[in-house]
This record gives sequence, structure tokens and C-alpha cells, in this order.
Amino acid sequence: MPYKYIGRTTSFKGKTLWEIVGNLKNFGVGRIVVRSVFERYPEPSYMKILKVETLPTPEVVSVDKKTFRGKPFPRPIVIESSSYKTDYRLIPKVEEEKYCKRIEEKDVRIFPRTFEFPPIMKELILREMKEKGEKLTEVPPLEIVYSKCSKKTKYRIAKDGEEPNVEIVMGFGTPVSPSLYEGIKL
Amino acid sequence: MLRLVNNFRNLTITKESLSINYTNYQPVRWRKPIWLPVAKTKIFKVPPRTVIPEEEKVELMRLYNSYRTQIKSLRRYLTYKYCTKFLASEDPEEQKKIFEEDFARCIEINKKWNEEQNVLREKRVAEELEVNLDFARNRIELELIKQEEKLQKVEEIVRREKEQGKSFITSENIDEAIEYALHNSVDYNFAIDLNGEKIFGRENNTQEVKQKVSVLANI
Repeated sequence: MPYKYIGRTTSFKGKTLWEIVGNLKNFGVGRIVVRSVFERYPEPSYMKILKVETLPTPEVVSVDKKTFRGKPFPRPIVIESSSYKTDYRLIPKVEEEKYCKRIEEKDVRIFPRTFEFPPIMKELILREMKEKGEKLTEVPPLEIVYSKCSKKTKYRIAKDGEEPNVEIVMGFGTPVSPSLYEGIKL
Repeated sequence: MLRLVNNFRNLTITKESLSINYTNYQPVRWRKPIWLPVAKTKIFKVPPRTVIPEEEKVELMRLYNSYRTQIKSLRRYLTYKYCTKFLASEDPEEQKKIFEEDFARCIEINKKWNEEQNVLREKRVAEELEVNLDFARNRIELELIKQEEKLQKVEEIVRREKEQGKSFITSENIDEAIEYALHNSVDYNFAIDLNGEKIFGRENNTQEVKQKVSVLANI
């Protein structure tokens, strides 16, 4: 059934999981399904269906082997709460191999462990130290808090003495699109 | 982006910008209640997506990401520095001493409050007792009045009965009463003629006084 969307625009594109899986032989076990929202990444993200079960509500549970951004998950996952979303696409058998082919891994991004305090705070800390009687001219750097999840998958934090290859600084930093700041003193 | 930077540059705080015009001040812009449906003119409206140029999008993402990272880091630093939960592990003796001092101070305040409350409580209890006693006294008074009235009523009944008792037939005057009854037989039977006159007695005794009764009036 073609969907006609009314109201707000949606980022979804495709069918629900049941619409795909219900029409396939053996409920599509062994086939490859993709979510269109994950297709924005250059690396392939796909799910291989291992088992399908139906629920009383118009939903479907499927156990899938998921690969996200080229990295497979260690254990199969269950898709239940998001199976209703009209965002799935079936990959034809002919294209499966081509689609799932891994692309070469890029260099690992190494993020810095610390950065400096903001200027006023630095001054405050110095004064506090002076009051306490500690003689320090330099304020110890501030440890950066990274997302727990992304830390494992997307990048690595620099070890002691390692040089980070990504710049993260306190303050404005270097713009990615300098054309936006033309004629402005930064 | 350019506008954003220019805005920062022009950010000068004046007296006018700080003062709020309270006559036109509207903190929340109420439009319509949330339970009302979508307006009929807007049901099939598909608003277009805002399109942000790619380079602006990338720059905005970078700015937001770096802002969040900085704030998160600073927040954690300040939490570790000032949160008592993390301070506790620094010097247990000092912490214990501070706690005990604080506890003693709290107890002192509590004692003071208790004393104040005690005075108030005693006063209140005394007042309540007085009110209750007044109430009880009033009730006793009312009860006594009620009993008095009841007694009077009973005595009235007794008096009436005693008066009536004089005409009662007793064993002493029973013979007289029988004699009287035998000599004064009363016949309540009567007949009515066409004129509405009552004719007493079972036998037609013409010597009896005829009593006129308006039968028609009774109908």
C-alpha cells in the first residue's frame, strides 16, 4: 500500500519490516534489510534476518545480525519496538554482496585527553592556589569528557605522550568552513 | 553565521534593553488549548523542510559539539571539586568533626523549637480543657432542666388520673352503680323519618322526645 504522508515531513523512506518480511519465503530468513536513516553514512549499515516472530499487535519481532557503519555487532539483536517504522528496504539478493562489502578503514582518529580552562576560570584557579599557598604558575589542564559510547566506536583518546590527530580546544577553535567568516577578525 | 558573529559584536547592554515593559509583558504566548484539533486549513499542509547549506551545517555541528564537550568537561570538574559526595573521601576526621558540629547545632535549634512549642502546647491544652469543661457544664444544666420538665409532665398526668379516679367504680360502690345502670337504661338505637327527625328507641315510643337532625346537611 503506498503511503501518503500528511503533515510534517518525515525522514523515513521505505516500508515497515512486516511488509517486507511477510511477503518473503520463510519470512525472509537470511535476507538483508537496511534502514534508510543509516544509509547516510559512507560505511554500510545493514541487518541480516535470522528469525522472525509475529506479535498480536501489528508488529513483528525479528532477530537480526546487525552491522552498523561497517562494524558488526558482537551478538544478534532483537528488533521489536522499531519494526513498525516505514523505513526498511530490502536488498535484492544480487546486490547483497556488493552492498555489504567492507570499505577500507580510515586512520583511527585520536582525540586529546585534556584541554585548557577558560581564561577567567584559569585566573580564578590561580588565585585560589595562591590563597592556599601553593606556588604554581600553570594551571593543570582540564580533562575532557567524551561520550561513553562514541569513545569505543568512533575514535580513541590519546594515551600519555601520544600526539592527537584531531584538534579540540576550549573556545572557538578553527572553523571548518572559513568562507563563512570572510572579512571577520576571529 | 555572519549575522551571529555580528550580533555578538553589537552586543552592548544599555539601560533600555534591560528594562521590561510590563504592560505588554507576556511570558507565555497562549495560542489555543492543546486538545483542539489541527486547524482545518492546516490539515493537508506539508511544511517544507528548512534547508541549511552544507558548509553552514558542518560549521554549526562543529560549534555545537565543541560547546557541549566544553560544558560537560567543566561541569564534571566543578562537580568533583564542590560536591560533598566526592569531598567526603578527602579527610574523614575533618568531615566527622564538621558533621558533629553541625549535628550539635541542629540539636540546639531543635531544643529551642521544642521549648517554644511546649509553651504554646500547654497554653492550647489549657484553653481546650476550659472550653470542654464549659461545654460539659452547659450540658449538665440542660439535662437537669430536661429532667425537671419531664417530672412535671409525669406529675401532671398523675394528678389528672387521680381526679378521674374519683368517678371510678370500686368494690364499695358497685351495688349502687349496678342499681343506677339498671334503672337508667339507655337505648342508642334510633330511626330517621322523612323530615330528618330522629326517633330514639328500638320500640316506637311516642312519649320520647323527638330530636330533629338535619340529615340532608350531613350528606
